[in-house]
Amino acid sequence: MLDAIKDVVRKSSIHVCIVNCGGCNGCDVECVALLSPRYDLEQYGIYVHNNPREADVLLLTGAVTEQWTDNLKRIYDKAPEPKIAVAVGNCPQSGDVFAQEGGHVHAPASDFIPVAAAIPGCPPRPSEILEAILAVGPQAIADRGREMK
Amino acid sequence: MIVPIGPIHPALKEPIRLKLQTEGERVVKAEIEYGYVHRGIEKIIEGQTWQKGIYLSERVCGICSYEHTQTFAETIEQISDVEVPLRAQFLRVITNELDRIQSHFLANSTFFKSMDHETLFMHVLELREYAMDSIELLTGNRVNMGWNVVGGVRMDADERHFKPILENLDKIEESFDRVRALFAEGPALALRCKGIGVMTKKEAIKGRAVGPIGRASGIKEDLRNGHYTYDDHFDFKVIRRTEGDNYARTLTRFDEIPESISLVRQAIENMPDGEIRTPATLKSGYAMRRNEAPRGEVTYMIETNGSLIKNISIRTPSIANMDSCAKYMIRDVPTVADAVSTYASCDPCVACAERVAITNEYGKTAIKDIYEVK
Repeated sequence: MLDAIKDVVRKSSIHVCIVNCGGCNGCDVECVALLSPRYDLEQYGIYVHNNPREADVLLLTGAVTEQWTDNLKRIYDKAPEPKIAVAVGNCPQSGDVFAQEGGHVHAPASDFIPVAAAIPGCPPRPSEILEAILAVGPQAIADRGREMK
Repeated sequence: MIVPIGPIHPALKEPIRLKLQTEGERVVKAEIEYGYVHRGIEKIIEGQTWQKGIYLSERVCGICSYEHTQTFAETIEQISDVEVPLRAQFLRVITNELDRIQSHFLANSTFFKSMDHETLFMHVLELREYAMDSIELLTGNRVNMGWNVVGGVRMDADERHFKPILENLDKIEESFDRVRALFAEGPALALRCKGIGVMTKKEAIKGRAVGPIGRASGIKEDLRNGHYTYDDHFDFKVIRRTEGDNYARTLTRFDEIPESISLVRQAIENMPDGEIRTPATLKSGYAMRRNEAPRGEVTYMIETNGSLIKNISIRTPSIANMDSCAKYMIRDVPTVADAVSTYASCDPCVACAERVAITNEYGKTAIKDIYEVK
């Protein structure tokens, strides 16, 4: 009974924190564009706080630079359970163009924290990001909540 | 007491650490710690062809990505004595100004968000989407356009592209004056902006502030004035203010948008016929080129050996603006909340700023390698 109520509540109220771990900003501006009246993220019950301490979904962008190798885990630990991480763009999955000789990146991000979903693109369109959060977000958070018991 | 903000913080969009030294509520000193987004792009580009280099240079910064590719292409063209066809130059102006419009709207919306003014934040972001639509229509992408190649542009455009772009610009102009007046004449906002984060002209020159941030403090410099396309074919007014506070910086960016809109209109009206790309034979050599990005001047120094890039150094505007922000703007703001909005008003772009470039005391030479500094 309590679980069912929790599931319903979690599905309609998702708090998001954007974590830029060393990207070019492109994915971040597309996440900001999501807040614009055209896409209007908040009508789906999703709030962008940029505060890891109250986040349910961490939106990872960027290719995990030197400074983030230990900080990423610390940010993830700060978020309360249940939580998921969604990788936005190519960088957190493969490092994109930066994963070459001379680049200082340590992609993929899944080496450091568990990543629940990934959205490819350089950068993905706002509608794709929105679709991915809505498709995997509520269910993954509910699943993760039951796992934690 | 020292108040650390960042690297992940509700007020910041990008990872950076601000250290504010406070006395009571008043901020007396600020320091910025960089290094969270350093990816080593310059090192990767070394030894690659220009096709790979231009792709990487676009990913120096996602917001002003266009100007980086244009400057890269123009530097290689200068080395190889390639003359770009006039039609390609005009197409470059259209994309450049559309990029400037969306970047200024984004910067202002971030500033309003940092002041917790949701209404204006939404209004400005709504206007920005029209500029993004135009960019997507013309180039096929919203952020990283891949529009420039050495010797011209990638694709041709015709009436089918120009007509919707002009309609989108009409839509921006329709509500632009209302939104600008909400900020410029609204008493609540002006109280929190005027006289906060003041940087005088002398300090701006000392801190090497560039772009709209420098122009808000009274510096005249706009590098579009020295550019061959703009000089010969276009008319525009350089916006300049003298107050140097948050209000002036935001209003400078607002006032540059109608100028950019008029430049796009001029380019579409006088669009010449002809080729959009000339074949380029690359020569070896060295060239330096400066261009006006939305945030100020972007400098590219490239040394090529025939087909490959031997050495490249990129100097971006954000590093100068953010440094002068920490040194002069945040120095004496009344509260920590004002320090955050002052930081947002200098239009910071951390991904841009993570370069290694050291200028000497008089700003005459730029040394790329950090170990070469005597």
